Amino acid sequence: MHPAPTSEIPAQLIALFAALMLVAQLLLAVQRMLLTSIRLFAIQSLFLAGIAAVVAYSHNAFHVYVVVALTLIGKVAFLPWLLDRQVRRMKIIQEIEPLVNFPTSMLICGGLTLLGYLVARPFTSLERLGNNTLAVAITLVLTGFFLMINRRKAITQVLALLTVENGVMLAAVALTTYGMPLVVELGIFFDVLVAVMILGILVYRIRETFASMDTSKLSQLKG
Amino acid sequence: MNQLPPTLLLLTLLGYATGVVASLFCLRAEKAANVLACGLAALAAFSGVVASVIGLLTGAATAHESVQILPELIPYLRFSIRLDPLGLFFTLLVSLVGLAIAVYSLGYNRQFFGRKNLGVFGAFFNSVLLATTLVFLADNAFFFLIAWEIMALSAYFLVSFEHEKEESRNAGVLFFVMSHIGTGCLILGFLLLFQTSGGYGFEGFHAIGATMAAGPRNAAFLLFLVGFGVKAGIVPLHIWLPVAHPAAPSNVSALMSGILIKTGIYGLTRVCFDFMGPPPNWWGVTILTIGTISAVLGVLYALMEHDLKRLLAYHSIENIGIILMGLGAALMFLHTGHPVLASLALIAGLYHTINHAVFKALLFLGAGAVVHATHTRNMEEMGGLVKRMPRTAFCFLVGAVAISALPPLNGFVSEWLTYQSLLQGFGTTPSLIRLMFPLGGAMLALTGALAAACFVKAYGITFLAQPRSEHAACAHEAGGPEVAGQFLLTAVCVFLGLFPTQFLRLLDPVTSQLAGSALSAQLGLANGFVLAGATATGGTVSTLGLALMAVCLLPVPLALWWVFARGTTVRRGPTWDCGLQGLTPRMEYTATGFSKPIRMIFKALFRPRREVQREYDFSPYFATNLRFESHVEEVFLTRIYRPLNWLVWRVSRRMRALQAGSLQAYLIYIFVTLLLLLIFAL
Repeated sequence: MHPAPTSEIPAQLIALFAALMLVAQLLLAVQRMLLTSIRLFAIQSLFLAGIAAVVAYSHNAFHVYVVVALTLIGKVAFLPWLLDRQVRRMKIIQEIEPLVNFPTSMLICGGLTLLGYLVARPFTSLERLGNNTLAVAITLVLTGFFLMINRRKAITQVLALLTVENGVMLAAVALTTYGMPLVVELGIFFDVLVAVMILGILVYRIRETFASMDTSKLSQLKG
Repeated sequence: MNQLPPTLLLLTLLGYATGVVASLFCLRAEKAANVLACGLAALAAFSGVVASVIGLLTGAATAHESVQILPELIPYLRFSIRLDPLGLFFTLLVSLVGLAIAVYSLGYNRQFFGRKNLGVFGAFFNSVLLATTLVFLADNAFFFLIAWEIMALSAYFLVSFEHEKEESRNAGVLFFVMSHIGTGCLILGFLLLFQTSGGYGFEGFHAIGATMAAGPRNAAFLLFLVGFGVKAGIVPLHIWLPVAHPAAPSNVSALMSGILIKTGIYGLTRVCFDFMGPPPNWWGVTILTIGTISAVLGVLYALMEHDLKRLLAYHSIENIGIILMGLGAALMFLHTGHPVLASLALIAGLYHTINHAVFKALLFLGAGAVVHATHTRNMEEMGGLVKRMPRTAFCFLVGAVAISALPPLNGFVSEWLTYQSLLQGFGTTPSLIRLMFPLGGAMLALTGALAAACFVKAYGITFLAQPRSEHAACAHEAGGPEVAGQFLLTAVCVFLGLFPTQFLRLLDPVTSQLAGSALSAQLGLANGFVLAGATATGGTVSTLGLALMAVCLLPVPLALWWVFARGTTVRRGPTWDCGLQGLTPRMEYTATGFSKPIRMIFKALFRPRREVQREYDFSPYFATNLRFESHVEEVFLTRIYRPLNWLVWRVSRRMRALQAGSLQAYLIYIFVTLLLLLIFAL
């Protein structure tokens, strides 16, 4: 007995996109160039929008289309553009050496992915769409967090925060059939938007004050 | 159903609230702000007095009705007030004293013109009155805590109102810290009650003690004891009182000592009698013991003080102790099943509560007038003020007589009632614990004697003899509103002293609510002329009779003089000065000298230390320069709080290593916690 193709194809599409999001995340973990990192984030967000679009199409859920539109406008276009402009304005191209070197961070990310899958296993029966989206979502959150710790530049830390947010969105789309209530999604979205804009200004200020974007220099502020 | 009390009470609350807003609108016009703030507070307080008296007399209060004053926004949090007898009684207290203080402040605040922002003062003054009234009326634990915090914060701002002085700032911080330790305990206590009742409404807490398990019940009692005890100022949680009361402006000191610390008494009464009764025996024993210790230690430390306002602050600790003796005895009687005696002891405690509020506010207002006139709080630099400030001196004298528990004033009545309940308590139980009662009575007697000695010192050194400093010599009487405020409280003192049986009618609903019997009929004999001790073995006394007797005896010496000494001549001469060049203020008895015998008797407690440095040229008998220093150790500060403080510092210094200041470190803390939780959940 074959399941109906209409439910088979969306599930596989979602699994594919989720896997691609994970790949983008891992690439981001070992990417030194700032501009490339921003583009990787944009691509990851594009896959997220793809997943949301599939969910919206297969369930005929109109309000998920709104989420798709917002993701496309905000995370694929506006935020990358904003960060891009900032990086060009400050003429910083490369991240300096991270706290943990790239091969080791790759290993750590692998471990975190394993942990994500382990944690997500009890919940897989709840999933209606795709097999491993929840695991990917948790992995995105964990690795995003690790990225935030590992990098020193404020811009990359902002990027890492945004990937964490992508993970949260993915979990929302994957776990609940129709996504979260629209109000909650809008709330999260605008939260992140505002946070990034404020962070952008702060990054600029940090650079003005300390002639660097290295956040570890902020410890000088301690009394 | 009598609708007058609730309406008037809502007007009171509205009046205070308007006072807050109006004062803030008049930030620039300080005279208008002063008049508006004090005027509105006085009007609101007056309406509160009327409302609570009517409510208590007509029994409208027993209806236990709940009035919602704001819509419900959050689950569990209802902004509702309830007119129950206990709350109304304390509302009477806050309104009565608040009225006098508001009138007094109208004049007293003039000294701040052009110097401080009176709009801010008026706003906090009104908000502290509003919050205190709400504390007494709140019908929901959340609402109670909100009011409690607003009260504490407004009081903090009032204490540090003269923030240009370092003393005021430090006092404010100490008050803030102690107050929040207390609030923390209260929150935990209410959570324990919530576990059993499943709600935060006070009607759900009523008599909840019977259904609680022993462990949480005792834990809740201890938490409430600490939480309310900090505010009341019981030993050893009292350290903020002698610091915060003197540092505040004097009208604020009166407010704090008269009203604010009574919120602790209200809370303990509410919790022990209304919520968690019938109590185990050790609750009553604990409260009685704490009360006794506070009373004795409070008055002993007061005797050592030369700072007029600090002296009064220590007396607050003493009087809180006396109040708690009454409450503790009442709890013990409830445990052994003697509702009449329990009511008597409760009446004694509550009567002393309102008495202390009245005479302590009166004394602080008097001290404020004196301090304003002499620009010092040190008694050794005062003296001779009875001629320069006769009205203030008279009011202060009445307050001093009242607080020393001398008949016929109000302090005597409530302490007499306390004695009655303690002495009759000996027969209530066969166990050895009954020794607590005569012991407590003896300690109360010691306290009374020491308090009298202390006020002989305070009044004598401050008001009598010759002025000891320039400032005291050119002191002036306080202005009209100040004197009016003091006279109002003096009149209340006299009324509460002479007509106790009339006043006891107000306490009837309270005791029948909390201890199960109304006693005013049994306590008043001969149409209310004589006060009786409730049971057959109790004593009787009549303050009114004593006063009348004194008036009748007054002509006797005059008659004797007229009979025997009419024809003798009177010669006036200077006082014998040992052949020196006239008497100077330096020869006067000092406060330190006056209290020396007591300092020596209680040497073990005070650990007095003195240094004398003598400089001389040729013979040790003719010193050219003499320096004398004398110190008394504050045992609680040096033996408990300082080691504790040191410990906290050490631990926090270790903890500071965690606060590396690096963003990555903070992120790692969160991340590791997250990972551990996830792995733990697997």
